[in-house]
Amino acid sequence: MASVIEVKNLTKQFGKFKALSGVDLAVEKGEVMAFLGPNGAGKTTTIRVLLGILRASSGSVKVFGKDAWDHAVELHKRIAFVPGDVNLWPNLTGGEVIDLFTSFQGGKHSGERHRERFIKMFNLDPTKKCRTYSKGNRQKVALISALASNAELFILDEPTSGLDPLMLKTFEDCILELKKEGKSVLLSSHILGEVDKLADHVTIIREGRVVKTGSMTEIKKAAHGKSLEDVFLSEYEDQK
Amino acid sequence: MIRYLLFILRRERLMTPIWIASLLAASIGIAIAFQQLFATPEDMRVMAETLANPAMQALIGPTYGIDSLTPAMLMAQELLIFMIITVAIFNIFLVIRHTRTDEEQGRLEMLRALPIGRLTNPAATLLFAFKANLAITLAIALGLIATNMDGMQVCGAFIYAGSIGASGFLFASIALLMAQLFSTSRGALSGSFALMGVFYIARAFGDMSGNILSYISPMGLGLRVYSFYDNIAWPILVLFVQAIIIGGIALLVCRNRDLGEGIIPASKGRRHASRFLQTPFGLAWNLSKGNFLAWTIGLFALGATYGAVIGDIAEFVQTNEMFQTLLGLGQGDLITYQVVESFISMILVVMAMVAAIPVVIIANKIRSEEKQGRIEPIFARAIRRRSLLATYTIIAAFGSAWFIFITALGLYAGGANTGLLNFSNIVHIALFYVPAILVMLGMAVFLVGFLPKLTSLVWVIFGYSFLTVYFGSLLGLPEWMDRLSPFGYHPDLEASGFVTMPFIVLSTTAIALILMGFQAYRSRDLVG
Ligand SMILES: Nc1ncnc2c1ncn2[C@@H]1O[C@H](COP(=O)(O)OP(=O)(O)OP(=O)(O)O)[C@@H](O)[C@H]1O
Ligand SMILES: [Mg+2]
Repeated sequence: MASVIEVKNLTKQFGKFKALSGVDLAVEKGEVMAFLGPNGAGKTTTIRVLLGILRASSGSVKVFGKDAWDHAVELHKRIAFVPGDVNLWPNLTGGEVIDLFTSFQGGKHSGERHRERFIKMFNLDPTKKCRTYSKGNRQKVALISALASNAELFILDEPTSGLDPLMLKTFEDCILELKKEGKSVLLSSHILGEVDKLADHVTIIREGRVVKTGSMTEIKKAAHGKSLEDVFLSEYEDQK
Repeated sequence: MIRYLLFILRRERLMTPIWIASLLAASIGIAIAFQQLFATPEDMRVMAETLANPAMQALIGPTYGIDSLTPAMLMAQELLIFMIITVAIFNIFLVIRHTRTDEEQGRLEMLRALPIGRLTNPAATLLFAFKANLAITLAIALGLIATNMDGMQVCGAFIYAGSIGASGFLFASIALLMAQLFSTSRGALSGSFALMGVFYIARAFGDMSGNILSYISPMGLGLRVYSFYDNIAWPILVLFVQAIIIGGIALLVCRNRDLGEGIIPASKGRRHASRFLQTPFGLAWNLSKGNFLAWTIGLFALGATYGAVIGDIAEFVQTNEMFQTLLGLGQGDLITYQVVESFISMILVVMAMVAAIPVVIIANKIRSEEKQGRIEPIFARAIRRRSLLATYTIIAAFGSAWFIFITALGLYAGGANTGLLNFSNIVHIALFYVPAILVMLGMAVFLVGFLPKLTSLVWVIFGYSFLTVYFGSLLGLPEWMDRLSPFGYHPDLEASGFVTMPFIVLSTTAIALILMGFQAYRSRDLVG
């Protein structure tokens, strides 16, 4: 069977600036892929291309075997997305926004039970206006909307920024649950502890190029007992 | 698509109905007032004579139907351009709020990750704008028919309201296009309003000299329906087709661009902040200078437009005996001079109000920065609240004199060739209105200090001032209503002294308001 995400030789040019130069990325069904790299490496850019929000300058970008730009609408029925910096409509309540996302997702309204469950798990008050939410609470609104959908692929761009340790734990449980259900996750993150617990595979990019990719076990083995943190730090620092 | 429309509707559940209701209320109220004002044909004839001169045509557009005047017709002549401007403003804000602002804030990114077409957001916004304009058209038309004023016709009411609605829809399309071209909502807003200004000025020139510019400018075209008289429908159709074409272009541009991008590229900046930018004053100036420049150019152009009318007025007065008797003046060059002078004072009051707009925008900037959460990091440094507010206030206060001066300069430049203008006189009249503008600034600062959530109240005062100054004598409003507005005081052209009583009262009021605003700003919470 084809990979859930299959990116080959992707480049993205912003005017003269080359943000991505030949990125390869593959995510298989049922696995959690951690997507790492220093600030400005091109993670968010790659994710936006995957979502058909940015158009690839060259290369092939396939999700569920279909081109991410041409079939964006159709693909998005099977994808849930959480950005790292969630900004919501100030005069709608959190509950309204969650409903809105679910309704746009087109999922059947069996999501109701799910929705209540996640709202409880994340301890969110859905009756407050979004303008009064703290950063973490805004993040929760996006997370709950994503988790309550019946998507098969979860694309998460620093989804836990602003969450407290307790919520972080809840988030991790949710991801492990998704994995059990056979869903796929692309997780961009700077929190290595989270990556260590959740990821099956890891891809590291730097300055728009993939510098390391492999399964978690391989990488740990190759590190000869060094901590995960050391491995990443050496990758990040090489550039100097 | 339908879901998206509902979503826009939900976010608009307050704003749009309020606009529509206010437009309806204003239309009906003014219709009733006109009905009472123009009870006899004589009243109407006097009014029509006052309107039928180049200066008024530059301000409000063509006049018509002298042979069979009705109150409805007079109302349409005087009001249509302002209705079009108001509805255009509504549409520009509506469209940009739902498109570029959402995109800039990163909300659109989340929506686009859902199974929503690439064009759903702009297309649904345009569709919503269409429906809102349709509602405005129906509300105004039916409301006017219900007043049953003299000269009211069903067909005329729909033509009048249709011109308003179609113009509004065209500005919705223009705003949508601007939202594609500019990568920030500020840019898109400025672009839309600048174009609106250009259309207005082009129309003024066209209407004054009766040339094709009146038809090229959509604002001029909208006035060519001659409602309650000829009732010509085709301009409405043309406006509508233009709206569809521009909307189509906007959608095409949107389809082919990346999210977050504009077509006009954001330029690369400097590596270091200049010495000047590192001070609070420098930062505030940096944030306001674009505004400053754009308004300087716009006001100069507006002034020059009216300056250019002066020659026409002089000629008009000299050849029109009726007008001379109407004003109760003698013969000869002296009248020309007097008429020009009184025209200049009239224009300058209106200009003073327009010139106050950028002043208030600059003063409100500190509040919009606060809303965006960009003030907190500044106060977290060793900067006093008072000094930050002072920087914006000083820039705006400087603007109070600068903008009206530039307008006067434009007026002089536009009309200098007629030899009828006295530069120091113009500047004298112009500067007399500086305290009035300062009072508006004072109101803005006061609100920033006391009622940060209601800073837009200052625009209500604008609306009030405009109504009383423009319609005050026309509607026979009592004088105290005029005096409530800072623009209700006019210079005494005969008196030689500059510092008159109103000048002192207004200046003191302005200073008091500013001081109170400062006091409150120091001790209130910062709110998002
Ligand atoms: N619209 C754009 N125009 C120009 N350059 C851009 C644009 N978007 C991103 N870039 C540039 O592309 C590069 C990659 O950015 P990207 O946001 O993908 O990084 P990232 O890996 O997500 O970083 P972070 O960890 O900080 O989130 C950066 O150098 C950024 O400045
Ligand atoms: Mg990023």
